[in-house]
Amino acid sequence: MRFPTFGPTLYGLALVMVVLGVATPFLPIIVKVQLINFLLFVGLAYALNFMTGLTGYVSFGHAVFMGIGAYALGGGIDRLGFPPLLGVILGAGLGAAFAVGIGLVTLRFRGVYFAITTLVVFLAAKNIVPEISELGGGSGIFMNLGFQPLAEFYTIWTIVVLEIGLTYWVTHGRLGYGLRAIKSDEDAAKTVGVNASRLKLILFGISGMFAGATGAVYAWTLSAVLPDTGFDITYSLRMLAMIIIGGAGTLLGPFLGAVIVYVPYNYFQTVQSLLGLQLAVIGALVLLIALFIPTGIVGTVRRYVPTLRRYVE
Amino acid sequence: MTARLVAQNVRKDFGGVQALRGVSLTVDEGSVVGLIGPNGSGKTTLLNLLAGAEKPTSGTIELNGRRTDGLPINRVVGLGIAKTYQIPRPFLAMTVRENVAVAAMYGAFHRKAGEARDDAGRLLSIVGMDRQAETVAAELTVQHRKQLELARAIATGARILLLDEVFAGLSGDELARSINLVSKIQKELGFGVLVVEHVMRAVLTLSGHVVVIVEGRTIAEGAPQEVVHDPAVIEAYLGTEVARAPT
Repeated sequence: MRFPTFGPTLYGLALVMVVLGVATPFLPIIVKVQLINFLLFVGLAYALNFMTGLTGYVSFGHAVFMGIGAYALGGGIDRLGFPPLLGVILGAGLGAAFAVGIGLVTLRFRGVYFAITTLVVFLAAKNIVPEISELGGGSGIFMNLGFQPLAEFYTIWTIVVLEIGLTYWVTHGRLGYGLRAIKSDEDAAKTVGVNASRLKLILFGISGMFAGATGAVYAWTLSAVLPDTGFDITYSLRMLAMIIIGGAGTLLGPFLGAVIVYVPYNYFQTVQSLLGLQLAVIGALVLLIALFIPTGIVGTVRRYVPTLRRYVE
Repeated sequence: MTARLVAQNVRKDFGGVQALRGVSLTVDEGSVVGLIGPNGSGKTTLLNLLAGAEKPTSGTIELNGRRTDGLPINRVVGLGIAKTYQIPRPFLAMTVRENVAVAAMYGAFHRKAGEARDDAGRLLSIVGMDRQAETVAAELTVQHRKQLELARAIATGARILLLDEVFAGLSGDELARSINLVSKIQKELGFGVLVVEHVMRAVLTLSGHVVVIVEGRTIAEGAPQEVVHDPAVIEAYLGTEVARAPT
């Protein structure tokens, strides 16, 4: 049997993840918390990358799947007495189920019309959920979980590892070819036999599953689920910003984008005079990238530096 | 078993416009049928119906006795009918080889990624594009895009090819070479081919049987030489006076 070679990008990402996985228990608590928050960003970036990155369908609604994951964890723990990990699994399952259900309807639309429907779904969810008294109504659910940094860390770490592995698997196989064809010209893709509707639905489901799982871990770190933080449109925008900056549809892009968005986001929160400016900075960055290098960092490097094409994907 | 595509009494309305008013035709594997007619006569509409890109308003389309009308286009491709676009639509961000490989993976053959890439290599040498295999499709010339369109349709494993004006916009040597290419591929691989065409020379050279449609109706069909001398056909193309003029 031939030993498969996975390429430098996957090896590089694997190395980073292994180092994080081994070193984190020995790091100071403040760093642990920052790494958890960072990996939450990474998790969200890869989640959206499955849909928007790989099919080209822009979704503003991914905060909904995050919120569903968060409420699944809250409900699971508070009402059903689940341990947090089971709550995360429930969040992933419900995220996937809602994505497939919503996708069956909204994926009939294309391009900007699809994007608008995702926004509508978001607004609907944001207004409906606080009215449901079983979900704590407007005041949300408090879980009183205490501080569990290592359990939280390894859960989100596992989610990210799965996302990276699955992204690689999807982009390197038969599925990846079909998705690139859809992204390039959906009608022509169907004309050569690609079942575009099914592929898009599968990817939307995967995307919703990981957004749900990540949203659940986010709620775990807050030990609470609130309608405002559960359904926060800025999370949708941050996810988009990360994959646009890093390179939509690439393997390394979401990770790179997460670093670039997370660092100013985190730094600005620690400096009183800069507080609140992080979104303006990220917005300006997205604008510049969209104007000058629309394929993001990874896409641009691959395009203009042919020698690096073999190493960066 | 050789493939046979049969359309019977196919009608297609777009709102109030009757694009096709009952057209029938048969394409057998191994034969070439030419479909001609003036602009707006419904040629491309018929081709889209046969390919599964659109549903007929009434009438039936069958491949080997199995109804295909109403199936989505990707299913029809899986059964062995593939069409090309009049204006080529390659996957611009992908290389030529990848373009063809997608068709091999998702068409009737369901090839694995590795096999599909090998298939693509073979096909590209058949259509004379091996040197462009690793070129990104966005960088191709019009002529090469048309050849790629053809290679992609063949790669789906189709036994019936529906070619929508593959010769349009070509002239002189390019046209002659393209006609030869299609003829060679058709003979070697034994496809059934429906050529929708404006370029008379191409239709007459390639087709064994020609169907002429005007305003959504068949006005003549038969051997190419008979059809071009049919007064109704001349009238449709050139106007009444020419058709009635003494020869």
